[in-house]
Amino acid sequence: MKHEPGMAYNLNNLHKIFAVVSIILLLTVVWMMLDDFIRPWKGVQVKAMKVEGQVLSKKIKVQNKLIDQTKLKKLTANLKHAKKQVLSNGLKIKNVEADLLKLKGKQHREKIINSKYSSLLAQLTYQFEVKNKLDLLDKLGKYKSLLEKSNDQIKEYKSRFNKLKNKLSELKKEEIKAKKELEKVTGVKNRLIEAQKKTDPTTPVWLLRNAPFFDYLDPTLKISQIVLGNITEDRYFRQVPRVDRCITCHTFIDKKGFESQKNPFKTHPRLSLILGENSPHPIKKIGCTICHGGEGNRMQDFIAAGHTPSTIKQKKQWENSYNWHKAIHITRPMYKLKHTEAGCLKCHQGVDDITYATHLNKGRKLIRTYGCNGCHKIKGWEHFQKSGPSLVSIKDKISKQFFKNWVLNPRDFNPKAKMPSFFGQTNNSKDQFLKRNITEINALTEYILTKSKKYSPFVQYQQGDPNTGKNLISTVGCLGCHQVESISKGPYNKVKSRAGSYLTALGSKVNPDWLVSRLLRPVHYQASTVMPSFRLSNIEANNIASYLLSFKNNKFQSLPFGPIDKSTRDELLLEYLSVLDTKKGARAKLATLSDAERTLELGHRSVSKYGCFACHNLLGFADKTPIGPELTRVGSKPISQIAFGRQTIEHKRDVWFSSHLKNPRIWDQGTAKSFRDLQRMPNFNLPTKEIEALTIALLAQVSQKIPLEGIKRLSPNEHLTEKANKVMNIYNCRGCHEIDGQGGEIQKIYAKDLNFGPTRLGQEGKRVRSTWLHQFLQNVYKVRPALKIRMPSFNLTNEQRNQITRGLQAKANVSTFENNSLELVWESGQKEATIELFDELACNSCHTIGFSDIEAIAPDLHYAYNRLRPQWILNWLQNPTEVLDYTVMPNFWFDGESQEDEIMDGDPTRQMEALLKYIKSLSYNKFQKAD
Amino acid sequence: MVAVIKDIINTISAPIYSFSTLLILFCVGFKYYRVVGTKKFGLIALGIFSVLFGLFLSDDNFYKNVTAPDNIPILMLIMSVGFFTWYAIFKAACNDVRIEAGLEPEENTEKERQKVWVWPNLVYIELIAMVAFCAFLIVWGILIPAPLEESANPTWAPNPAKAPWYFLGLQEMLVYFDPWIAGVVLPGLIIIGLILIPYIDPNPKGSGYYTFMQRKLAMFMFLFGWIVLWVYLILIGTFLRGPNWSFFGPFEPWDIHKVTAASNINLSEYFWVLALGTTMPQNIFAREFLGILLLLFYLTVPIIFVTKLWGKELLKKMGAIRYYLTAFLVLGMMSLPIKMYLRWFFNLKYIIAISEFELNL
Repeated sequence: MKHEPGMAYNLNNLHKIFAVVSIILLLTVVWMMLDDFIRPWKGVQVKAMKVEGQVLSKKIKVQNKLIDQTKLKKLTANLKHAKKQVLSNGLKIKNVEADLLKLKGKQHREKIINSKYSSLLAQLTYQFEVKNKLDLLDKLGKYKSLLEKSNDQIKEYKSRFNKLKNKLSELKKEEIKAKKELEKVTGVKNRLIEAQKKTDPTTPVWLLRNAPFFDYLDPTLKISQIVLGNITEDRYFRQVPRVDRCITCHTFIDKKGFESQKNPFKTHPRLSLILGENSPHPIKKIGCTICHGGEGNRMQDFIAAGHTPSTIKQKKQWENSYNWHKAIHITRPMYKLKHTEAGCLKCHQGVDDITYATHLNKGRKLIRTYGCNGCHKIKGWEHFQKSGPSLVSIKDKISKQFFKNWVLNPRDFNPKAKMPSFFGQTNNSKDQFLKRNITEINALTEYILTKSKKYSPFVQYQQGDPNTGKNLISTVGCLGCHQVESISKGPYNKVKSRAGSYLTALGSKVNPDWLVSRLLRPVHYQASTVMPSFRLSNIEANNIASYLLSFKNNKFQSLPFGPIDKSTRDELLLEYLSVLDTKKGARAKLATLSDAERTLELGHRSVSKYGCFACHNLLGFADKTPIGPELTRVGSKPISQIAFGRQTIEHKRDVWFSSHLKNPRIWDQGTAKSFRDLQRMPNFNLPTKEIEALTIALLAQVSQKIPLEGIKRLSPNEHLTEKANKVMNIYNCRGCHEIDGQGGEIQKIYAKDLNFGPTRLGQEGKRVRSTWLHQFLQNVYKVRPALKIRMPSFNLTNEQRNQITRGLQAKANVSTFENNSLELVWESGQKEATIELFDELACNSCHTIGFSDIEAIAPDLHYAYNRLRPQWILNWLQNPTEVLDYTVMPNFWFDGESQEDEIMDGDPTRQMEALLKYIKSLSYNKFQKAD
Repeated sequence: MVAVIKDIINTISAPIYSFSTLLILFCVGFKYYRVVGTKKFGLIALGIFSVLFGLFLSDDNFYKNVTAPDNIPILMLIMSVGFFTWYAIFKAACNDVRIEAGLEPEENTEKERQKVWVWPNLVYIELIAMVAFCAFLIVWGILIPAPLEESANPTWAPNPAKAPWYFLGLQEMLVYFDPWIAGVVLPGLIIIGLILIPYIDPNPKGSGYYTFMQRKLAMFMFLFGWIVLWVYLILIGTFLRGPNWSFFGPFEPWDIHKVTAASNINLSEYFWVLALGTTMPQNIFAREFLGILLLLFYLTVPIIFVTKLWGKELLKKMGAIRYYLTAFLVLGMMSLPIKMYLRWFFNLKYIIAISEFELNL
């Protein structure tokens, strides 16, 4: 090809190529703009407008029905009529309106002049005062007077303007009145229609405001965000306020009226608790991600925010509708919806139970029940006792044979044992491992029993009446903590107490003398026990024991347990000894030990290996550190640090927790571990529901730090309440008493008549005197004579009694002493009238004690005044069912009117106060008498 | 069957095999550059590459690795490096044939030596290229968005923590050298060497036209340093190094828990502890004397030897300073493959190990 001289190319062709690439560049730029413009959240917001429109049109329909059509017609006709009437003043009105318009112009002009003067004046003042230009004084004076004049003018215009306005409304009086009346009827509907108009995304103005290139001005589609000053985000080099943009798509999350919509347009459940303006968690202070997790600031798409499907079904649905896939580079994915309560703990620290967080509380209670915190340190759980019984004097409680078989598999004996299974698990049931396990069990039994202290029961068991015993167990209150296998039918079926052990086949388990002693004085065997005394008589205790001992488990009893295999024992010991020594040295060391010493040595090492001391008191293990890893921050453990072994499960923290809880040894599958390195976490045989709850509790243990301003800080009263709660959790008060809707397991037996069950303690502080409660906890007596169930005597320290008393008092927000110094003074004739009233109301027909020999069904009134707070007695008299909905105490002042008109002029207040005085006059102090 | 082939490929991609293969292929290709420099060869090579690449893409791990947004530019790099290297060899081969026939190189013919205007011949084309490239970048940016990760956390580095792609060769060198050498001395030598090239290579041949025959030594040095060392190490560092900088075959999933045995031993330990069975001397120089001797030997004997055998003429042509500078730079370059082989064959950690002063070689 030939080109022009000095040219390598044909210029025309170059122009063509340039044109083509330029057009391509233009197109790509447009494409880029569109790519930037089209965002998933915009689509959601447009859809939200539609949803809002639908909701509003429903509301308009409702309004339409509410409006009385005939009235509406009448009012519209009225308005028409009024307009006609006003028309007769047409000329006058026109004149006034013209005057007004003129005046407005004048006003505007004056305002401009005024602002000019005032700014000049300010400048002059500055120059005169600061710059010391004294010659400006004259000028200053001139402008001051000019400004004053102008101000005056403005005032005058204003008054003229008002006058004209009044004149105008006077002329239009009828029309304005008719309009107002119509507005009263149609106002709501009109406002709704106005609002609905705003939800139309096809109006030209809307389209222009949100069009590409124009949407930087004032778009209606925009990212909405909540900036949380109190809760910060750790950006590693500094703490920055957390920003949640979830409300961009979850448009109506804090607005009522969208409850039945589908996500993301749904209203948050329980607005009064969460997100509502007056709730404890207002949306502007809490945001979203602090509870739900997720990357609240990420907007690019559904996945970037860290959405996590709860179920496989939801996952599939999301895959279809949002193209969902497992996200990478998301440090904090959302909790699955069912795990959301795991988000509560980071702000609600230092409390045992978090009100309303039912699932989390259940999980945390299970941690206490199973004693997870024994092996795994969890900060804030140190106050709980070891979850298993003390083994310090075990040899006089059960036999060696029983001990061994029990350790091998507790469930062989007790299907509901809380003690987990260490042996016969998926990773150690091979023959060679089993042989070593049996040797270990033999050795540790030998060790524990040999080191066990002598315990001599203080009474001897005598055969009693099992039937009476059964009756006692089911009525006295044992079931608040224990389940008894043979008492689990009828009303007892629902009582699932777990604080104490599940009682089955005690005849094959315990020493009868030990059992009677334990029933009579629990602290005699174990000083630190939380088991209370029911103040049983010797006969009662023997009856109960007879009943419990009558059940036997012959199969378990006859299970053989081989003697210790000495060669396996020596082999195991050699392994231990050669950890820090050579094989030869270990052998030499072993040779210095006698046969018995070898067994004890292996026993000691086995107890350390399996961590028995974490749940059981054992001599010599007080300083041992627990064998499990700490769980305080386990909810933040990086996924890459969690070993999933060869399990092909989803690599998520919650999935690991639940698999681990289901079978802790599963991670050993397919590994070539030696006996010593096998996983040791025992199997608790947990049901799925409990695993779920425990998973939530573990997920909640995060390391995320919320600034002090952001977390829930207990008020002094709440702090005291929590202290009481902690003590009550240790002694399982909720096993019998329902407190704030929680607990009261045993009340299920009394579902038919709650009057025969333990009292609710929600507002106990309001009810009883603090001094009485403190003394009562030390010297329990029967308050309600008709009750068969007994409030047991707990082994509380003085400090603990104080904590309970103080806590209940703080919760009810009352002071320690109430009307204490009130002296008893009768007005003349008042006492007689009161006694008459007392008889008329027949108080002593129920409160019989001290009045007649009839069996009492209501508490002794002689103790009442020292027990109950006077204000509470008055409230109680006024309306008993309001205080306690199931009480049988009648309401004598129904609707605030006395039935005894003759006494004290039938004045209820006077009557009730007189009765209070009378009760005071009867009273004596139970506890002083006891002295 | 497929699994077995994949396994074999995984195994032979390990540096010891793949590097050796590349080395042999490079030498063979160098010897038969006229075969390489034919269109037929180019097409066949392209065909084989495309088919293999297509087949490999059916593997999930390979696909994920190759199509990661970070790795796309490196894929482009391989393709363009492959093409342009071939193109240069092709051109050179053509010219060499002409030169042998006594003709001028193609770029030197009467027609090619005519002068044209810078505007519009050069500037206009540059403008067009600029516009086209902008369009390309925009499309790339839309289709494969920048791979944003979680916010940076100084206490939690990503694993593997990788340098930008152009530094991955250097990072790969860290496997074989002390950071001081791999990160400072060798890159420094590379830069100094590149700066020095115009001064130590005054040979006017090959200026303005492609040729192979006339510049064999320079071609060898450059292609060896560029393709065999630099590009190869980038490839390994990008595609075949996973978590913990462990080696992963192209079809192997990146398992963060992969364990590879690596117990490397210093030369001084080999000598004193393993061979003589004594303790190491306290004196550093006594302890490392063997390594120091070896280093001195490496820096002198090969030069003397080569000079005596083949280099006399070259020495005369270049002058002593240029000649010895070149020799030193070449030795510096060659230390990399030598050290790599020493590591693979003998698990040799350092030849001289003076960790007291962070001076390890």
